Amino acid sequence: MIKGLNEDQTAALQELANIGMGQAGNSLARIWKEFVHLSIPRIAMVDASRLPDLILGFVGDTAVSASRQAFHGGFRGEVLVVVTAKDRNGLAQLMGFEGQLDAAEREEVLLDIVNILGGACVGGIAQQVSAEIGFSAPSLIGEDLDPLDVINPEQLAIDTALSLEVCFQVENRSLTAHLVILLPNNEVGALADLLDQFLCTL
Amino acid sequence: MNDQHNTLVADFIVERLELGVFAVDAQFNIVLWNRFMHTHSGKSAQSLKGSNLFTTFPELPESWLKRKIESVFALGNYAFTSWEQRAYLFRFKHNRPITGGVEAMLQNCTFLPLKDEKGKVEFVVITLQDCTDNALIQQRLAEAITISDEERRKQQELIVKLEDAKNQLFQSEKLASIGQLAAGVAHEINNPIGFVNSNLGTLERNVTDLMKLMAVFESKEAELPEAAQQELRKIKKDIDFEYVKEDLADLINESKEGLGHVRRIVADLKDFSRVDQSGWQIADLEKCIDTTLNVVSNEIRYKATVVKEYGHPPLVECVPGQINQVLMNLVVNASQAFPERGQITLRTGEEGMYVWIEVQDDGVGIPPENLQRIFEPFFTTKPVGTGTGLGLSVCYNIVRKHEGELTVRSEVGKGSCFRILLPIFHGKMGESEELEAALSVPQ
Repeated sequence: MIKGLNEDQTAALQELANIGMGQAGNSLARIWKEFVHLSIPRIAMVDASRLPDLILGFVGDTAVSASRQAFHGGFRGEVLVVVTAKDRNGLAQLMGFEGQLDAAEREEVLLDIVNILGGACVGGIAQQVSAEIGFSAPSLIGEDLDPLDVINPEQLAIDTALSLEVCFQVENRSLTAHLVILLPNNEVGALADLLDQFLCTL
Repeated sequence: MNDQHNTLVADFIVERLELGVFAVDAQFNIVLWNRFMHTHSGKSAQSLKGSNLFTTFPELPESWLKRKIESVFALGNYAFTSWEQRAYLFRFKHNRPITGGVEAMLQNCTFLPLKDEKGKVEFVVITLQDCTDNALIQQRLAEAITISDEERRKQQELIVKLEDAKNQLFQSEKLASIGQLAAGVAHEINNPIGFVNSNLGTLERNVTDLMKLMAVFESKEAELPEAAQQELRKIKKDIDFEYVKEDLADLINESKEGLGHVRRIVADLKDFSRVDQSGWQIADLEKCIDTTLNVVSNEIRYKATVVKEYGHPPLVECVPGQINQVLMNLVVNASQAFPERGQITLRTGEEGMYVWIEVQDDGVGIPPENLQRIFEPFFTTKPVGTGTGLGLSVCYNIVRKHEGELTVRSEVGKGSCFRILLPIFHGKMGESEELEAALSVPQ
């Protein structure tokens, strides 16, 4: 069970996330014309200090690039996408970038990746609970980072966050991207209300 | 306000706001094109309505932009571009026709899904915000930061170099005073050595004379009365006369040898520091090598075996004190190249109007990336505080002042070989006749 959510709400969130990711995968497959596999989302309450380990845990000890985007509306939070250089280049092709990427394009790809993947996943969940969600412009965290340096817990505005992590795979092209949706713990109440409304409609 | 008012206001905002607004349908046909877009593209809404975005503007990056718009249609979410990564979507003239500073209008774009009642995306609306002024300020700020960072870095480098130079100055002052001290001590020692040497010569002659006298005494011993003979035999036995006789000669010989050793050390010290004769001279480089080896023998004795392969080249016009310094640096460096113990080979030879010396070791070698830098001042691979990074750069400068060349070849794991090439003749010694005379001295 997730702290701040009761048993029904936790179960509903997991179920909605599963369905949401399924829809996100379908949408991405339509855009990219490639089969996209999404892992079952792992949902947990995480201490801010544990976030760097969380990221190291799913990408492994390799240099990564990362970008972020904020969303707001029915519930607020941020999406983080972490990819390796190889995966970034592969995803760039899917997104219509042509030829060798220059420095600005390499950054733009990262922004586009978080916009598309984050939009698909957060949108997928929001749709299930009938919440209107808007997105701010994405921004870059950095390139060629140590996974432990993607998030600096000392600079975070929160102590704990609800994290929902998903792994994307474009199997035909052996591409992988990791995505984490983070909700500050004071937003969990808003999410719980939305989940209750959803449970009432059943 | 009623609905009619609302529509009026909405139309007004779209038309008059300083923001580019246009919309396309799923086939990328233009369905909306506001005044801003008209003004900057020179194409009116009327002329564009219904025409295909990519046919009308073939300069747009079609493959990427199509995917971007398609993703907004498919996902129903916003998408963005920022001038920092993509300067502009449409190449419009900037708003600085006089002040300039930029080649085209810098734009931030937002792609918005316009949905029908069922939530299906019907159109994608794209807004274009002119960010030129903000971008310029930000770019200038970024440039200023880069410049100040660069300056700070340079200052930091200078501070480190200054510190190194200070240490080096301190080091060379220390060396200079040690050199002076050594030369002074050598001079002072020379005097007592002189008279001890001469006394030792006299002592040797005196002892020989005394022994001659003793021999005569001994031959006449039998002629003495028995009592006197007995007394003599007793004293001879007490002082172990036979041994004393033999040992006296050994003692004197060993003392002479030891004294010779001291004189050689003193001579080498004086030779090496050249306090009494500096400047250009005709010198035998092989003698320079021998002198240097004597001075550093303690430093290298336990680290390396020295092999000499002399080719007996002609004498060379040089500043021997400086050449000694180069040789000492190279030999000591070579002795530090061995993980345990190794061999240093010293070769000499003649090549046209030049004489060369090679100092070769079979040590660890120098990696290629360092090889180009080893003659640079302050370059060192020794731990901080151990080397000044100046030894080889000083050598290089000395050899260059001799109009010669100092080169190196090295292979990691096999060792390094430094080669000094010196011209035989410079004409720096003044009278050329004197020089020729000196050069013609047979070896």
